[in-house]
Amino acid sequence: MLFNSYVFILFLGLALAIHYLPVSWKAKKANLLLAGYLFYAVWNPPFVLLLWLSTVVDFIIGKQLHQAENPAKRKALLAASLGVNLGMLGFFKYGGFLVDNFVLLASAAGIDFHPAAPDIILPVGISFYTFQTLSYTLDMYRKKHAPERSLLDFSLYVSFFPQLVAGPIVRTGDLLPQFKSPRQATSAQFMHGSLLLSLGLFMKIVLADGLLSGPADQVFGAPMALNIADAWLGVLAFSGQIFFDFAGYTTCAIGVAAMLGFSLPDNFRYPYAAVGFSDFWRRWHISLSTWLRDYLYIPLGGNRAGKVRTYINLMITMLVGGLWHGASWTFVAWGGLHGLYLTVEKWLESLREKRAARLTQAEPAMQPLIVEKSALPMSNPKVKTLLLVLLTFLLVNVTWVFFRAQDFATAWRLLASMFGLAPDGAALLPTIDMIKVLVVTVGLLLTHFLMRNTSVPELIHKSKWWTVGIAWGLMLVAIIVSQKSGGSFIYFQF
Amino acid sequence: METTKMARAALLSLAIALVFLLAWESFWRSKGFIPTYNDDKALWAMKRTEIYQPSGSATVFIGSSRIKFNLDIPTWEKITGEKAVQLALVGTSPILTLQDLADDEKFAGKLVVDVTEPLFFSQNPAFHQSAKESVAYYHQQTPAEKVSTAIGLALESQLAFLEERRFSLNTLLNDIPLPNRPGVFQFPAFPKTFEWNTLNRQTYMSDMFLADSAALKRQTDIWAMLIMGNPEPPIAGKELDEVLAGIKTSVDKIRSRGGRVIFVRTPSSGPMEAGEQQAFPLEQYWSRLLDATDTPGIHYKDHPETAHYICPEWSHLSPTDAVDYTHHLVKQLGEKGWFALNKSDLVNP
Repeated sequence: MLFNSYVFILFLGLALAIHYLPVSWKAKKANLLLAGYLFYAVWNPPFVLLLWLSTVVDFIIGKQLHQAENPAKRKALLAASLGVNLGMLGFFKYGGFLVDNFVLLASAAGIDFHPAAPDIILPVGISFYTFQTLSYTLDMYRKKHAPERSLLDFSLYVSFFPQLVAGPIVRTGDLLPQFKSPRQATSAQFMHGSLLLSLGLFMKIVLADGLLSGPADQVFGAPMALNIADAWLGVLAFSGQIFFDFAGYTTCAIGVAAMLGFSLPDNFRYPYAAVGFSDFWRRWHISLSTWLRDYLYIPLGGNRAGKVRTYINLMITMLVGGLWHGASWTFVAWGGLHGLYLTVEKWLESLREKRAARLTQAEPAMQPLIVEKSALPMSNPKVKTLLLVLLTFLLVNVTWVFFRAQDFATAWRLLASMFGLAPDGAALLPTIDMIKVLVVTVGLLLTHFLMRNTSVPELIHKSKWWTVGIAWGLMLVAIIVSQKSGGSFIYFQF
Repeated sequence: METTKMARAALLSLAIALVFLLAWESFWRSKGFIPTYNDDKALWAMKRTEIYQPSGSATVFIGSSRIKFNLDIPTWEKITGEKAVQLALVGTSPILTLQDLADDEKFAGKLVVDVTEPLFFSQNPAFHQSAKESVAYYHQQTPAEKVSTAIGLALESQLAFLEERRFSLNTLLNDIPLPNRPGVFQFPAFPKTFEWNTLNRQTYMSDMFLADSAALKRQTDIWAMLIMGNPEPPIAGKELDEVLAGIKTSVDKIRSRGGRVIFVRTPSSGPMEAGEQQAFPLEQYWSRLLDATDTPGIHYKDHPETAHYICPEWSHLSPTDAVDYTHHLVKQLGEKGWFALNKSDLVNP
């Protein structure tokens, strides 16, 4: 079920009505669990079985993992959980990709192998709930938390409908404890949640689907080289679209959870105001980046085994992050490019540290001046930050080309157009589309820059009631005028 | 404190939204617009479910916009007693839809294929996109989407502004007359008053449009640019042979299950008709289509009673003429044994 659909309004109304009935907390949790299954089943009913399988396997294995002391048994249990979860993910998400690449390899080796094309439907949100249950099992393996005793609570943790299909990927400690005592939103929390739901829908329906998806689709679908302006505007349109689409979903999820009395962690903190790539990944899809950090990068050794090993670990983590998004080499390239950016950033950081260390041996009175001059030849810190933000944004845009392009040929063609290597590129976008992209992109960057050290709740807290009311009302008006978007969220396919 | 603030903000936002909604609806109603339906893939998919009816009780129509305007469904259903399932898609070749029906083992009914040559014989992906999306949507739609469609249709039946082609934010922005750079193609905006869509997917010209010579002129200018100004030469030779072979395969599949297929060319007039005849000579396209697929056809020019229509904007019949034409079409189909009972005897247009 999509948040941006009529049926969701009915569904949410019903779920809220039952949630606020004077019934036991257990009955309310059962209502939320059934709502989660219904929310998921209306896409494709049989796939609810996958949710159940994932739930039951990790509930049982989690308990045993926590109790078991024998290392071999613990490893076997962990392997069983990983086998089921990653096996499921592998089959549904990467089955076709693996077969295709095997055929290519066989062909390169001179073997003529033509298997039947697999006809596999990707269950919505499988990567999200698989990573969520995996985090539980891995935490049990590390004995980080006590195992969950209630199957109802654990099932609800796996199938909590606001964040079931596109996150945030919630950790055991963040959500499961909230099921232990009755939750009911305060009036302020409920209205705050409604405001976030409106904001999320505004981002999705008006900005992502309404204003940006068209130009992005046109540019990425163009079969020819493009004019430099069109190429950049298409990529900027996609940059905005993917942010508003995904952050819009998460904002809706946080809002709906708040209306039910629950709290979900932030998934985005104005990422296009990031200074550098470490900062970007602290602001973009935070629940995935922290998951990868805690369950992959750190176990690989993190930055504890020397510089080269750190760079390798970073690259592996980002490549896996790329593959998590989709079964295609273009996603791997996207992850690889981010890995490269992070590696270069770390390397530059180490150079700066070395230089700073050398300076500590220099004339003490000169040190502050030299450090300031060596970092960036800019005395105004705001201007420096702005320039670094723009540089980061520009480089992020380059990565989006691989993320969005359907194949490498399209990606290279578009990059060539963006960097002036296609002098006879065609003009494609109508003037009105160019204006739409420019206005939204400037607004997006400005908002992110101004909000980079604050948050929506803080902003609401500081604002007058009528300012909030007018802004909220205008968002509703824009949603009404935009009309149904009907478009699925981009991240559902991941 | 925070509760009061949020409550006030929520009330103000609801008041703004409600006032706007009422004002927006009233504004468009005052301009003569009435509630109509989005002729989108969701509505198409809903109608697509209706094709599995016994052969004697329904006829399925596929094609382009012409059959949507030119077939008057209430007239058809009244005089034939059979349901008309309208699956034609605006600006689209029916070939992909034909393939979809042919590949559907459960479909063994009667199928009328509308032929608008510039679209029917086009290999331009743009003229197949809508069919591709609609067919894919039908096969992949979720139960949630079906419920949302039902709710959406209920709302569209009451609210005039709920029509994306006319009143969505994007459409309104695209209506701003801004010059484009040389070589940039922007799909022209049809007059807002052009047509209404019914729940059974019939399309008909509005009285406002028919009475507005400027709107009529704008529409004919658009046809001139889109269809007659199409620089692509019509397909011919081997390419045409392949298209015809593909159509025959689809038609044969339907016939092998006991289904029936007929091609219909409905009226156009003026420069549109002349342009179509020039680009797609009857012998080379229409006749070849019937021969190559071994399928009967009805061409409006072959029957004096349907050869005289004047389309207000060259391409589609007015609502009155659509009723008249539907009577004749039923009769012509009856003469080809289309109906279980010879309904042509009952027809007296």
